[in-house]
Amino acid sequence: MNLSRPDRPQRLDALASAYALGTLSPRARLRLAGMAKVDGAVAAAIRDWEMRLASLCEGAAPITPPPRVWTAIATRLGLGAATSTGTNLPWWGRVTFWRSFALTSFALAMAFGVTLFTPGTRVPEQPIVAVLAGPDAKPALIATMMRGERTLTVKVVGAAAVPAGKSLELWMLPKDLPPKSLGVIPDSGVGRVALPAPPDVVLANVPALAVSLEVAGGSPTGAPQGPVLYTGAVERFY
Amino acid sequence: MAESAKPTDRSVRLTALMARVALGDQDAFARLYQESSAHLYGVAVRILKDGAAAEEVLQEAFVNVWHHAGSYEAAKSQPMTWLAAIVRNRCLDQLRRRELDTVTMTADDDDGKEFDLPSGDPTPVEMLLAGADAQSVRACVDALDAGQKQAIALAFYQGLSHAELADHLRQPLGTVKSWVRRGLERLKSCLDRAGYVRN
Repeated sequence: MNLSRPDRPQRLDALASAYALGTLSPRARLRLAGMAKVDGAVAAAIRDWEMRLASLCEGAAPITPPPRVWTAIATRLGLGAATSTGTNLPWWGRVTFWRSFALTSFALAMAFGVTLFTPGTRVPEQPIVAVLAGPDAKPALIATMMRGERTLTVKVVGAAAVPAGKSLELWMLPKDLPPKSLGVIPDSGVGRVALPAPPDVVLANVPALAVSLEVAGGSPTGAPQGPVLYTGAVERFY
Repeated sequence: MAESAKPTDRSVRLTALMARVALGDQDAFARLYQESSAHLYGVAVRILKDGAAAEEVLQEAFVNVWHHAGSYEAAKSQPMTWLAAIVRNRCLDQLRRRELDTVTMTADDDDGKEFDLPSGDPTPVEMLLAGADAQSVRACVDALDAGQKQAIALAFYQGLSHAELADHLRQPLGTVKSWVRRGLERLKSCLDRAGYVRN
């Protein structure tokens, strides 16, 4: 399996195709898998063949797996007890989520209570707020908007340091649709994101926001690529 | 026509679920499992012919999906294709690992008894043709020679290695290898011409 010869592309293609089809001998399979780990071209050739062949997979009749498979998966990943294939309750509808949210939103409501009734304000402010927190429920970022204005302000209050070459990206999590980017936000301090329309329009179907860790400048694909760090429900104060 | 609309709907739904799984949405993950596990389990059972082993592969595959959903690129493949590739790959690893272990099971040491495949089961070649539901893919499979088609179908659906194929088809190893190789080459150029794999 010498892939340094001049006919490398052809050899690589032949090996990758046999790997993906599964006809390589056990030892050759292990060797090629080892090479794929260190050689991107080998990995890409295998991936292309796997995709090509998997497109033929529809011929096998579906068989429902026993329920214990899902139980084992959920246990291994430590997924919340409320997560079952039978419930359609979104994660932000669950008790644990709201418990952590309630802690932070109380303090925030107090803070906004002050600005709401400041003397001299003629039109009552109508803020929309999301407190984004990680698994420890400690607020990391606060996103605020004013109804009728087209700016989202985000303040970093407790986010972990962002590694070099990475950016924080803010996402809307619309109901039953893929996440939609609101853009890259700063690692610290206060940042502003221009909204394409007033919050009532932009967030019409958006019960929650999330922040993920992406390559510098944000996900190049338009879909989140990196891990989600913080999430928070969208709260309207009106 | 209604048939061609179905997989598209499913793909759209699965793509949306994949993106949410990438953000750590547990409920989306549960729904992804709900929508795809029967198909994927069917694939695993065909190849491994062993319910317990197929369960294990399915479990490993979904744990993997939870951690790596972010590496799925909607522009490059259908979500079900991506998922099926993960499952097939794990099945093949497991088959070959079994061969590396010198322990061989006797014919009546049958773990798979609970596991009767439906009778009147289509042959691998029939499944290969049935699986190639997109017209372009079907035409590509159809264009293969009989030997190429059979060797690829057996490897694909039953996980046979080159040596096992030679045994099964009672052909010299070299013949079988070249059937597989030529068949795959033809399949590749045909599929790529049809724009099936987008890079």
